[in-house]
Amino acid sequence: MVGKIKLKQIADSVLKLSTADQTEVILSVSENSLTRFANNEIHQNMAWKDLGISLRVVIEKKVGVSTGNKFDEKSLKELVDRALELARVQSPDPEFQSLPEPEEIPHVKDEVVFATEEELAAGAYTVIKKAQDAGLIASGAYANDVSELAIANSLGVFAYHAGSSCNLSTIVLGKTSSGFAADVARVAGDINSEKVAETAVSKTLESENPAGIEPGEYEVILEPQAVSEMMAFFQWYGPNARIYHEKSSCLSDQMGKQVFGKNVTLIDDPFHELVFPMPFDFEGYPKKKLTIVENGVLKQIVYDSYYAKKYKVENTGHALPAPNTLGPIPLHMYIAPGDKTREEMIKSVKRGLLVTRLWYVRVLNPKALNVTGMTRDGTFLIENGKIVRPVKNLRFNQSIPKALNNVVSIENKLTQLASFEGELIGLAPTMHISKWEFSSGTLF
Amino acid sequence: MMKFAEEILSKIPSVTYADVRVVDQTSEDIATKDGVVEALQSSESVGYNVRILKDGVWGFAASHDMTPDGVDQTIKKALAITSASLLHKTTDVALDDTKPSTGSYKTPIEEDPFGVSIEEKIALLTAADKAQRVSDKIVVSQANYQANREKKYFVATNGSRIDQEITWTGAGIETSAVEGSEFQNRSYPNSFRGQNQTRGFELVRELNLLENAPRIGKEAVDLLSADICPTGEFDLILDGNQLALQIHESCGHAVELDRVLGYEASYAGTSFLTPEKLFNFKYGSDIVNLTADATIPGGLGTFGYDDEGTPAQRTYLIKEGKFQDYITSRDTVTKLHDINSQYNKQSNGTVRASSWSRLPMIRMTNINLEPGGEEGTGKGPTLAELIADTEYGIFMSTNRSWSIDDKRYNFQFGTEIAWEIKNGKKGRMLKNPTYQGITPEFWNSCDAICGRPEWTVWGTPNCGKGQPSQVMYTGHGASPARFKKIKVGVVKW
Repeated sequence: MVGKIKLKQIADSVLKLSTADQTEVILSVSENSLTRFANNEIHQNMAWKDLGISLRVVIEKKVGVSTGNKFDEKSLKELVDRALELARVQSPDPEFQSLPEPEEIPHVKDEVVFATEEELAAGAYTVIKKAQDAGLIASGAYANDVSELAIANSLGVFAYHAGSSCNLSTIVLGKTSSGFAADVARVAGDINSEKVAETAVSKTLESENPAGIEPGEYEVILEPQAVSEMMAFFQWYGPNARIYHEKSSCLSDQMGKQVFGKNVTLIDDPFHELVFPMPFDFEGYPKKKLTIVENGVLKQIVYDSYYAKKYKVENTGHALPAPNTLGPIPLHMYIAPGDKTREEMIKSVKRGLLVTRLWYVRVLNPKALNVTGMTRDGTFLIENGKIVRPVKNLRFNQSIPKALNNVVSIENKLTQLASFEGELIGLAPTMHISKWEFSSGTLF
Repeated sequence: MMKFAEEILSKIPSVTYADVRVVDQTSEDIATKDGVVEALQSSESVGYNVRILKDGVWGFAASHDMTPDGVDQTIKKALAITSASLLHKTTDVALDDTKPSTGSYKTPIEEDPFGVSIEEKIALLTAADKAQRVSDKIVVSQANYQANREKKYFVATNGSRIDQEITWTGAGIETSAVEGSEFQNRSYPNSFRGQNQTRGFELVRELNLLENAPRIGKEAVDLLSADICPTGEFDLILDGNQLALQIHESCGHAVELDRVLGYEASYAGTSFLTPEKLFNFKYGSDIVNLTADATIPGGLGTFGYDDEGTPAQRTYLIKEGKFQDYITSRDTVTKLHDINSQYNKQSNGTVRASSWSRLPMIRMTNINLEPGGEEGTGKGPTLAELIADTEYGIFMSTNRSWSIDDKRYNFQFGTEIAWEIKNGKKGRMLKNPTYQGITPEFWNSCDAICGRPEWTVWGTPNCGKGQPSQVMYTGHGASPARFKKIKVGVVKW
């Protein structure tokens, strides 16, 4: 840990070095450990730490960004000079107005806890042992990330937050099947490695000897990990001000209109008790809870300072680090829980598929937001409300807006999730969707 | 920096094996949107890592802190990690007998990209960006340029001592057109950051972005009203830039020995190319020759030595359709020796880490479909000849979407654009093209590969693998090729 005081000192010294009209400093501290296991043994075990600095300078609406991780006086001076040079040589961006002014940052309490190598190895071993006892092979990763983020600008912004997280995930392999499970928590002691192991082992055993099934349209029960993987690209391409105003979003021109089923509400809440909180965005602007879609009606998209000023609306605090060519993103979005239990949802399916998770989801067309991908690590046929047998994995081609218009029911609780393939959805319920298009099968 | 690397190594107490990498990465990125600079960034990251093999287990620690105290803490951390791993050890890590290497390597470049003025780069990009806007249906025009330099200093307790300077450069343009609910994209010379190679700014100049910009803009607009790609089983000709990604996903990842042995099962998955298939599995048709070659001039996966100190090599993965080899590392190849007694090779030098803070692991180098007309592959036609030889088919170019299952069997790709081929002639433009298949069936249906004049080493700078995730730059040599009776037009929108 570097600490708030030291990071403020560094930020202030860099701000003093800059002769730009406006200057912003982002300091990012990371201390990470990761214990990775496969074939029932630890095979990659590592730790790394870094302190990075990113500098954005503005000279007459011309913006330059330089980054580095050296903090001696000479290096910092070079960092500032590089950014100034980049800003000077370009033409002004007429749309750029200003970096954000200081605003009050909500206070959040977050624990910072380092896990020891022994704790991580022990968690991994719990999963390995359970898999071994069942005649299966465990693979997975147990990570501990501690981070500090400090953002300052020459208009007086200074924001600091520190937090930590632990994430244990596993894929257990059988001869003909696999099973996935994961747990996330702030502290290693709160990770339930026994439950992770039991869930993954059960899934693997239950999905042994899957049979092929004809592709086509099915009802699906998507478990939370699958919901997260389904929603990942919506998060990037949906309520994003840049894409919305370029008319490239499935939500473009739909403000105030019914875009999804009435049972779908999407919330972005950086202070939810189950997420890793983030009180400000990457411009040091305060975050708040937002309702993006309420009962299927589009209520709000998300902005950073650039797009808020460009379109003369309120900044919602969703900036990513500069330079940002992606647009503002809701990093704490989730689908609001419904009123059914997972068991009730399965019971209501006449003939459909239970999907543990999705894999390699990619966008075919960002405006239609249709995606393709595979099922993975446990797919099951449901008939007359009962899980009857495992099935081989299937490829789907599915429009996300259509899926969100065909939601039958939503689970009454949210499950905490960790990013697996870049998804940023930290919370998700199980969902029952009436129509999901599977286009082909694979061989396992 | 080499002296610093040696100092770190000298501080590591007696262990089975240890190596140290000190890495200094610099990059420059420019992105324009609608004729205005949207991102202009200069980045540098410097740090080091120690990798220790002790009592049969690995420990790895990395840090930006280059003070004597920082180095001591990093070594101490790596040793503590080996101790933790040892608590639950079941097998010993064994390294192969690769001989230590001493040497230097520097990417040969004609024009240093970092030496070209920013003003010139911006002028080139903004001109190409604006030149795409040939219609008011174009809602976004973009151009991008990136240059990267990686200085690596590697020392190991076996006596290896290597310094390398890898430089790679890339650029491209992209247009988005919208009409009502219809959205279409075109990119040049490739999607997802253009073309990238281990070359200097000469590559950017050769791409002729400005000259190609109006055509790309027009194609994006024409796609809005083009017919939808028909559905059926047709002969499919893939342009080199799409075939490059097909190779990447269905061959490159499938032959990574760490995946095959289950070491990536927790994330990216495993592979259908299991060890018993080695030397006898018919992966593709007789004309299919796939190589891993880190020695090709300009390839994005070209270097002098890998991150274990093994010299760059060329390896046949698939020869005349038969599965011949994996891409390997020093600690996985020994496991393969145990599994398959016919396999007695040492590491073929494919281990790389994406930064100083990441563990080196097996990564694709340049994974190539060798051009037709060479080494017993029969005639290597030109693309024009290939089209003329096709009665009915679809010609697809430039990737738009990609997805493949976790054993690398079932894949689906979409491209930005396609054309119908009828009676040997390229006809109407088609939008929203997709195709789907199962990897060995697909490669066994390959009946023609264009020759070397149309063979290009395409760069794929965004290959993800590992936990924590590592994004690596890889290359894929490919010329257009034809595949028989492929499921085309599998998705309609």
